[in-house]
Amino acid sequence: MPCYSIGPSLRSLNTCDVAMTSSYIRFGNVWKRFRRGEIHDSLRDLVPAVSRQLLGRVRNGSAAALQPNEFWAVRDVSFEVEPGKALGIIGGNGAGKSTILKILTRILRPTAGTAEIRGRAGALIEVSAGFHQDLTGRENVFLQGSIMGMPMALIREKFDEIVEFSGIAEFLDTPVKRYSSGMQARLGFSIAAHLDPDVLIIDEVLSVGDFRFQDRAFGRIRELVSRGLPVVIVSHQLDRIASLCNEAIVLDRGVAVYRGDPADCIAWYLSGNRASSGDGKEEAAIQIHQLTTEGPAEVPSGADVGLTLIGTISSASAASEDVALRVRSATSGSVAFETTLARCGINLLSPGEFRVRVDLEMNLRPGVYTIEPNVINVMTHNDVGTGPLAYIQVASDPGFVGYSHLRPRMRLL
Amino acid sequence: MISASRKGLPVDPPPPTRRTSALSDLREITRDTWRFRELMGQLTKRDIKIRYKQAVMGFGWALFMPILIVLAGLIIRLALANAGAGTVNREAIGGLAIKGICWSFFVGTVGFATGSLTSNISLVTKIYFPREVLPFSALGAQAFDSTIAGLALSIALPFLGLKLSVGLLWAPVLLLLILALTAGASLFLSCANLFFRDVKYIVQVLLTFGIFFTPVLFDASVLGPTGASLVMLNPLAPILEGLRHAVIGGQSLLTPIIEMTTNGIPVVVWHPWYLLYSTFWALGGLVLSAVLFHRAEFAFAEYV
Repeated sequence: MPCYSIGPSLRSLNTCDVAMTSSYIRFGNVWKRFRRGEIHDSLRDLVPAVSRQLLGRVRNGSAAALQPNEFWAVRDVSFEVEPGKALGIIGGNGAGKSTILKILTRILRPTAGTAEIRGRAGALIEVSAGFHQDLTGRENVFLQGSIMGMPMALIREKFDEIVEFSGIAEFLDTPVKRYSSGMQARLGFSIAAHLDPDVLIIDEVLSVGDFRFQDRAFGRIRELVSRGLPVVIVSHQLDRIASLCNEAIVLDRGVAVYRGDPADCIAWYLSGNRASSGDGKEEAAIQIHQLTTEGPAEVPSGADVGLTLIGTISSASAASEDVALRVRSATSGSVAFETTLARCGINLLSPGEFRVRVDLEMNLRPGVYTIEPNVINVMTHNDVGTGPLAYIQVASDPGFVGYSHLRPRMRLL
Repeated sequence: MISASRKGLPVDPPPPTRRTSALSDLREITRDTWRFRELMGQLTKRDIKIRYKQAVMGFGWALFMPILIVLAGLIIRLALANAGAGTVNREAIGGLAIKGICWSFFVGTVGFATGSLTSNISLVTKIYFPREVLPFSALGAQAFDSTIAGLALSIALPFLGLKLSVGLLWAPVLLLLILALTAGASLFLSCANLFFRDVKYIVQVLLTFGIFFTPVLFDASVLGPTGASLVMLNPLAPILEGLRHAVIGGQSLLTPIIEMTTNGIPVVVWHPWYLLYSTFWALGGLVLSAVLFHRAEFAFAEYV
């Protein structure tokens, strides 16, 4: 992955331009060590701990080695985000995503390495954490705003916008303890969304409120991203990452295992998940060796795609097995379509190699799709074996709305 | 595009952690606190608002504790007068009120600030801002209460033995000292309580019984020569006694003050060294706990 360094300093420009052109996020070889289990937190436990430390039985904080009850939450992760770049971080629970964001926002200090943000950071994280339940919505806007680092003048200036965006104007003078959790989250997001930052850090706030508000929130984030700020986003909503980011990192147990184009990362992440979940299965009678696509890797929605499936049948018990082809959206992880060879009229019976030609009409929304060949048990329908993936990208089309292409044909009557 | 395979995990981190000098720490604290002064104002306002929201007594609360202290002091004085030590006069009440407000400021702030980090856990683990802001805003809210009480007292003081003299100029100096002492204690204890939750119980006990080890309800002189100099070892004592001497007695604090007990024994109730002693505790304590707090700050979210 190429690393970009920052251009010449532009100090002579006015502050706004400086912020726009030279703000950045840098994360250099960051390590973070955490402890498992309880940490002593009463004075009774302090005495033995300190005496051990004094006797030299415990290594001091700077040593590299891990104690048995410690682990690395983040291992040697580096990235750099420049203006105009949006970096998505994906990975399973406990992969270290939130730790990275906490290091970025200075809540945690890295064990080793450097985390650096130039410019005023706006974090769309825990957007209503600073609310006090006894205070009114109006009072909380000022409180939460200043906790997030907004100057009072800015809060006053944006106050009407914030209230309008949240859509809870009529309850502004009601204590937030009487709000529903959705209303609190909406107000919190609205404040955070008006931070006016130089650098944006976003963590799982895309699922706030009802679907109308989610659309509005997503639109707001898209607008902030399009301003050309450096952005780091963590989300489990992979399609959001795909549509907002132009670069991504896959984290696995604290290690950046893959980085590149968001669609590639998401495909890699999903296929990685699949490989690890396929362990420990009994040997299947059908083996799949290859699934290759023909023609261009990127096709418009509705186009035909040809694939060749190559495999072998090793024993006669193949009658109880079948091959399923699963088309999965790499952006959302959901299965868009699934069929089996048997359903298409092919019954694999004789041992030996087989080749199957598959044609699919990709009547799907733009995005990356993985095609997974899986050996399944015809009785239980469980996966008993997997094969290599194929990728198909349906070309992006700004005019496309919805999730499938219904091949409209119209004529004037 | 794969930067590291699943198997080839990075094995060794570079070890060094950075060390900073206490001076640069202090600079950072001042800069951060100044930059987040608006947040401090907002949090102080929050604490004040919450105190007076849904509270029937309103600002009466601010006067409640000082008045109780004065009443308690009066009982002690009456008892002492009955036993033949000292008299109860207007000056005694004035001194009692001054010391009572200062003591309730100290007790209120320290009690409130000790839990300020742990009661804001959700902020500490989720949003970044200089953590000093939390104990400081607890101090600010208490200072607001004490200012109300102080204003009320300043109306009554002319009838309680206020002496207009140059000695009165010592009052702001001593108030700054008690502010520094309280701020230092607040920083240290809030930080300690975050790591060790039993600190708050110890503090509660100390604050409850501290009034017996501090010349609030009584004047240092009633303890006799040895007792007076012993009680002055409490860093708060010289500040409280100094305030009384300066405001009620109108005395200069640069010369020793000697009072006679009823048995005719002279007691050195004030010495300029006392001032230096308290200043040392107040400023030294503030600087030390600020540096300690600042260095521990980055571990707060992990250990809370």
